[in-house]
Amino acid sequence: MDATEGGSQENDFTGDAGAGKMQERLQKRNQARIDDVERRKEAKESLSVAEEQLDYFSSTFKRERVCIEELLSSCSGADRAVVTQRLEEATAQITQLQKFLNDSVLFLTQYELRQAQAALQKLQASLTETRENALPKKKFAFRARSKVADKASVPVSDSPPPDVAPTPAGPHEVDGGAASDLCGFFNMDSEHLTKTSEEIQKRDVLLSHLSNCKVRLLGSPSTLHLKHIDSCEILCGPVATSVFVDHCKNSILSFPCQQLRTHRTTDTQVYLHVTSRAIIEDCHGVSFAPFFWSYPTLEEDYRASGLSQDINNWSQVDDFNWLAAGTPSPNWTLIPEADRKTNWD
Amino acid sequence: MGLLTILTKMKQKERELRLLMLGLDNAGKTTILKKFNGEDVSTISPTLGFNIKTLEHKGFKLNIWDVGGQKSLRSYWRNYFESTDGLVWVVDSADRLRLQDCKDELSALLREERLAGATLLVFANKQDLPGSLSKEAIREALALDELKSHHWCIIGCSAITGENLLAGMDWLLDDIGARIFTAD
Repeated sequence: MDATEGGSQENDFTGDAGAGKMQERLQKRNQARIDDVERRKEAKESLSVAEEQLDYFSSTFKRERVCIEELLSSCSGADRAVVTQRLEEATAQITQLQKFLNDSVLFLTQYELRQAQAALQKLQASLTETRENALPKKKFAFRARSKVADKASVPVSDSPPPDVAPTPAGPHEVDGGAASDLCGFFNMDSEHLTKTSEEIQKRDVLLSHLSNCKVRLLGSPSTLHLKHIDSCEILCGPVATSVFVDHCKNSILSFPCQQLRTHRTTDTQVYLHVTSRAIIEDCHGVSFAPFFWSYPTLEEDYRASGLSQDINNWSQVDDFNWLAAGTPSPNWTLIPEADRKTNWD
Repeated sequence: MGLLTILTKMKQKERELRLLMLGLDNAGKTTILKKFNGEDVSTISPTLGFNIKTLEHKGFKLNIWDVGGQKSLRSYWRNYFESTDGLVWVVDSADRLRLQDCKDELSALLREERLAGATLLVFANKQDLPGSLSKEAIREALALDELKSHHWCIIGCSAITGENLLAGMDWLLDDIGARIFTAD
C-alpha cells in the first residue's frame, strides 16, 4: 500500500511537476501570443496613422476654413479700424493654414492636396476682394495724353485696352517706349485700312478694337498682334516671328508667319502659312485653310522675313485645351476645299 | 556632423543641379534650351507640355526643365518646383503689351515656398529685335530691385544669336555653386 501510495505520491509529484512545467509553458506561450497580438496591433496602428491624420487633417482644415470665411464675411459694413484688424487676422490665419497644409503634404494624396490648394486660393481671393471692397486703395495713374485714348466710344472691356494709353501699374518709361515703337490701328469701325511696307517693316504691329473693317498690311512686320477684333477681314504680308490673336470673332484672317498663337477666339477663319506651328487656346469654331494672297512686293517681303515658302504646316494645329492624343480637338477644323475663299476683293 | 552637412556632402558628390526654365508663352524658353544645347532653332513650335535636357557645363551635370508657358499650362508649373536649385525666368523683351502679366506671374512664383531657396536668373531675351526693351527697362518693369528674398541677376540675351546665354548660365552656376558646394 505504502509503496503504491508512495508510488502514486511520487507519480502525483512528478505529475505536479509536469503540470507546473506545462503551466509555465502555457503561460509562456500565452505571453508570447499576447506579445504577438500587441506587436501586430502596434504595427497596424503605425500603419493606420496616416488614415487617422487624414481625417484629422480634413476636419481641421475645414474648421479653419469656415472660421476664416466667417471672419471675412463679418467685414462688410464694419468700422474701418475693425475691418483692418479682422483682415490682418484673416491673413495670418490663411498663412497658418497654408503652413498646416505644407506640413501635411507627406501623407496627402494628390487629389486632396489639389482640393486644399484650391480652397486656399479661393480664400486668398476672397480676402483680396474683401480688402478691395472695404479698404479701397487710392487709384493713381498717369494721365494718358495720347489722342487715341481721347477718342470717344472706347469699348469697355475686361482687360485694359492695350493701345498706347499707359497702363496704370506699369512704369511710365516703359510704356512711353511702347507708344513710340508700336504701330497699327485702334478703335475703328467699318473702315478700309491699309499700311504700306515702309510703315510696318520689321516693326511690331498692333490692331485692336476693330469691327467691320477690312485691313491690308502690305509688308513684313516683326510681330503682329490682333486684339478684340469683330467681323473683320485682315490680310498681312509675311510676319517674321509670331502672330498673336486674342479675343477675335467672326473674322477672316490671312498671313504667313513663323508661329501662330490664337487665344479666346471664336468663329474665325484663318488662311495660313506657318513654318513652325499654329496653336489655339480657349477657342471655338476656328477653321484653317492654306494662305493665298498676293501683292506686288510679296516675294520681296518673304525674303525680308526669312520665312520659307516651301514649308507650310497650316493643317497641324495644337489645341492647349485638348491634350488627348488620338481624338481630334472639337475646337478647330480644316475648311473643306469647296468652301474656301478663292479671291479677296 | 549635422544633417545639413550630410546633405551638402551628398550633393557635392553628385554635382548635379536642377534648373527650371519658366516664362510667358513666346518668351523663347525652348529656343534658349536648344541653342544652349547646340540644336537647330528654326523649327521650334509652341511647347505643348515640357522638354527636359541633361547637359554638362563647368563640371556640373545640369537637368534643365523647360515647361510650356501658355496660360492653360501655367497651373502645371507647380508640379516642377520640387528641389529646384535655379529658376531661369525668360522674358520676351519685345512684348511690351504683356510686361504686367509677366511681372505678376514672376512675383507669384517667387512667393512659392518650394522655390524659396532657388537662385533667380532673368533672361531679357530677344535683344536682337529692333523694338526690344533694354535689360534696365525690364528690370524696372519687373521691379527686381525690390526683390530681397532671392539671389537674382538679369542678363540681356538673344536666343537666336546665342549672345550672352553662356554668361547668364555661368553666373547662375557660380551663384548656386557658392551656395551649395562651399557650405562646409
